[in-house]
Amino acid sequence: MSPPPIDPLPARVPNRWDLPDLGLGVGLRTQHFRHITEKWPAMDWFEILSENFIDTEGRPLHFLDQIAERYPIAMHGVCLSVGSTDPIDFGFLDKLKALSKRVKAKWLGDHICWTGVNGLNGHDLYPVPYTEEGLRHMVSRVKIMQDYLEQPLVLENPSTYLTFRVSAMPEEEFIARLAVEADCALLLDVNNVYVTCRNHDLDPCAYIDRIPAEHVVQVHLAGHTDNGTHCIDTHDGRVIDEVWQLYARFHERAGGRATLLEWDAKIPKFSVLQQEVGKAARFRNGARKAAA
Amino acid sequence: MRDMASLATLERWMQAVVMHPEGAEAGIQARAARALLADAARDPESVVLPSKNLTTLERLGIYADMYYLRLIEVMEGEYPTTRQLIGEHAFAAACRHFIAKNPSRSHTLNALSLRFPDFLAKTLPRTARNGLAVDVARIERAMEDVFDAPRAEPMTAAQFAAIGAGDWNRTKLRVNPALALLKLRYPANAYMTALRRGGKPRLPKPRATHVIVFRRGFQVFRRDQEPEQWKLLQALVAGKPLAGAVRATLGGRGARADLVAKRLGKWFEEWSSAHLFVQPLKGTVTFKGDGHI
Repeated sequence: MSPPPIDPLPARVPNRWDLPDLGLGVGLRTQHFRHITEKWPAMDWFEILSENFIDTEGRPLHFLDQIAERYPIAMHGVCLSVGSTDPIDFGFLDKLKALSKRVKAKWLGDHICWTGVNGLNGHDLYPVPYTEEGLRHMVSRVKIMQDYLEQPLVLENPSTYLTFRVSAMPEEEFIARLAVEADCALLLDVNNVYVTCRNHDLDPCAYIDRIPAEHVVQVHLAGHTDNGTHCIDTHDGRVIDEVWQLYARFHERAGGRATLLEWDAKIPKFSVLQQEVGKAARFRNGARKAAA
Repeated sequence: MRDMASLATLERWMQAVVMHPEGAEAGIQARAARALLADAARDPESVVLPSKNLTTLERLGIYADMYYLRLIEVMEGEYPTTRQLIGEHAFAAACRHFIAKNPSRSHTLNALSLRFPDFLAKTLPRTARNGLAVDVARIERAMEDVFDAPRAEPMTAAQFAAIGAGDWNRTKLRVNPALALLKLRYPANAYMTALRRGGKPRLPKPRATHVIVFRRGFQVFRRDQEPEQWKLLQALVAGKPLAGAVRATLGGRGARADLVAKRLGKWFEEWSSAHLFVQPLKGTVTFKGDGHI
């Protein structure tokens, strides 16, 4: 079965780059390679974890090549480390660029975070202090990276679990200013907004409303683990109602944005992913009515 | 924090804390973190704020716990049989120790445990079970390496057939980059195969074995080899011409030419079907002549 045609939602606030609303997609995971390449199931697009397809010429790349022939692909990484004080790794950027060309990626991005210093990689998304100095540092690095990659970076708000005492502005203000000053694109992860706001006792609606819609080209949805005292961004289950409401809230303001469901642990059958991401249509349609 | 040095210090401090193998609390008190932010050892809240529900140490602890949990989980996926052999807890402890000593320096996790088998060989108590576990770890690591190795088109039967007897002195075969050769102290490959088939194999006694791990298409295989067979392959991997490699491994004085030819025929047939030899790089080798392997 071939994927159905994409039904893009009108953008009330178009993104600055006219990047397309790809519709509803899911993260491409190893467990589904065979199913996808045998059944070619209905799915508007896939997002790949960039690092999983770099420095390998084995089976994953073999499947990705086939999938990229039939579906739009966006690249999303975890090691760009835009907030790190280590030197920029241009060799890594070269690899990202080559992969982007290979799969004809619609865009490539990462997270607003740092992943290591002193040449190490913690393979986690560490928070930056939200200060003027931190902002200037990140703006400068993002600009250099974008120039080198010759395309806007699509940067995601991470789930955060701590606050530095030196932070002088709210996270969403830092992100909004980063987007404007570096002229980069944003990936608004509404689950991360929820998790972060729970962990820092903040209002997620106010957070969402302060994100500049014209910079947002993509939205993430995911499940998380609620430990009572705090939430962890585990990507291991369905999207909760509160997160759907945040998704709807953003779409009412912004209109159509490429939407992606992440499910990275306890990964279910592909049909479950289809069903879960399909729910987004309801909220997008609600936004469509609001837009009309 | 007033300048870039402060940002760098803060990042280095947080990394030192969350990568400490005994957790965030020990990390804050450790020399590496104290050298960066001494005050934080006395007053962690001077750097990281508590939340409504969590203390500063608990918040840092989320990152510290996730660091080891995530990487150990990756290694559990890479070394399932090693883990089974040495036990869940001992394996996790070994991973934690290894990660603390060998933190990742790569943007991919594929390279994280490159030196893990050597680390186990050095650090595990010397028992028969652990000896086998080290060899199993070497095979499991090789399977990871081969999985990601570059692709290459296999040599065709016609290309093999075109290597004439007169070409042997100068012909160098290009070996599949997705091939690893392992010389082991235990029959680890047979043990893994028995386990995979659902058996409950006894711990084998030490016995030198020669194993190859290779990828054919996109599937990874492991296979025992005869010692001379393995040595010949090793010589070819090292870039020796065919004739020289055969002489070095099978061609001792008194070797019967017909028996040597028979063994070679069998081995090359096996290797050819396993795609161990691949298309030569452009401009390096041509196959001409009338002989056959």
